[in-house]
Amino acid sequence: MAGDSPKKIFILGLWKDNPVFRQIIGICSALAVTNLMLNSLIMGLGLIFVTAFSELTISIIRTITPKHIRMMVQVLIISVFVIIVDIFLKAYYPEMSKALGPYVGLIITNCIIMGRCEAYAQKNPPLSSFLDGIASGAGYTLVLLTIAFVRELLGFGTIFGVKVLGDWWTNWTIMIMPPGAFFVLAVVIWIARSISSEDKEKEKEAVKA
Amino acid sequence: MKKSFIFPILFMALITAFFTAILAFLNYSTADVIAFNQETELRRTLLYVFNIETPSQESKVVEEVFNKYISEEAINEKKVYIAKEDENIIGYAFPIVGTGLWGTVEGFAAISEDFSELLGIDFVSHSETPGLGGRISEDWFKEQFRGLKLTEENGGNYIIYKPSPGGNVDAIAGATLTSKSVSNFMNQDIYRFIKENKGGR
Repeated sequence: MAGDSPKKIFILGLWKDNPVFRQIIGICSALAVTNLMLNSLIMGLGLIFVTAFSELTISIIRTITPKHIRMMVQVLIISVFVIIVDIFLKAYYPEMSKALGPYVGLIITNCIIMGRCEAYAQKNPPLSSFLDGIASGAGYTLVLLTIAFVRELLGFGTIFGVKVLGDWWTNWTIMIMPPGAFFVLAVVIWIARSISSEDKEKEKEAVKA
Repeated sequence: MKKSFIFPILFMALITAFFTAILAFLNYSTADVIAFNQETELRRTLLYVFNIETPSQESKVVEEVFNKYISEEAINEKKVYIAKEDENIIGYAFPIVGTGLWGTVEGFAAISEDFSELLGIDFVSHSETPGLGGRISEDWFKEQFRGLKLTEENGGNYIIYKPSPGGNVDAIAGATLTSKSVSNFMNQDIYRFIKENKGGR
């Protein structure tokens, strides 16, 4: 089994098979952490790290893993990497760990990691799997940042905590609250899907799944 | 081999042991750093509630300043932090705790030596919504409590949100419930602390 070319993997992960607006997975956390851009960025980086290394590890041991306990093994490996991120932040970036405490734990429940491990890493060689993890994670991060951009701008008048809109701006509190996330996510999915209207059949499959 | 009954069990046990060992090692090698970080965090919080300036936020500097001013004492079997400057007591800091909207909110409040003024508050941990109730740990909110008068007459109702009559601090827009519970448990804890300790010293 030869691996896919890196270019193809990245096109798939970032656009054609983007986890959030094509596969509609991982949206629970996309709704939860997107009211500030910094939170979204850290969440995205954490997810890229965990997805890439989990896929790498799972791909390395895929030939010797008994098929019927593979999910148990996957969950174990994913949680190990999430705990590594958590310990690392606590020890060396205590400020960031304080701001993001609950989010780091949230990475473990992210469907993207499990989905990619099951759909890709089980069948492909280690290097491709590693790249696929980075690509999927980056696709997720980009969508998160897009949503967070709109929400933080309209909700606080800031970008990454820097004030960009003047005092005349009235903050839209609803953008910071959960309903704002639903509206923006829906609009993002709508726009993205209108742009890539090719591959109709695949789209139908995704909706069914 | 792979179809056998025992292989999956053995495989799982091995792989669990392997990864647990990695985590255990990582945990062991960072335990001291993490403990020190948490201690620094507590010291920073206490210095903040007493409004004592530190020349920098470096953990070593924070430790020095902390040791110079603040000591820990048990009064009525409760931990209280006392800040002193040249043997003159500046004030007392004590933990405040209560339920917010989603979970427990923990923090510290400091009051002046004669129990008449709130020196400052800070929150150590909470699980309020980031960007909404979570804004209780932002400076603009906490700074409002500095120098708040704690007078006897309003019966333990020290913190009143504007625009109510007698209001002295701003609540957080969009986080009414968090604001309300924070003022409730702070009023209670401060009232209790003053009642238990005033006259006793």
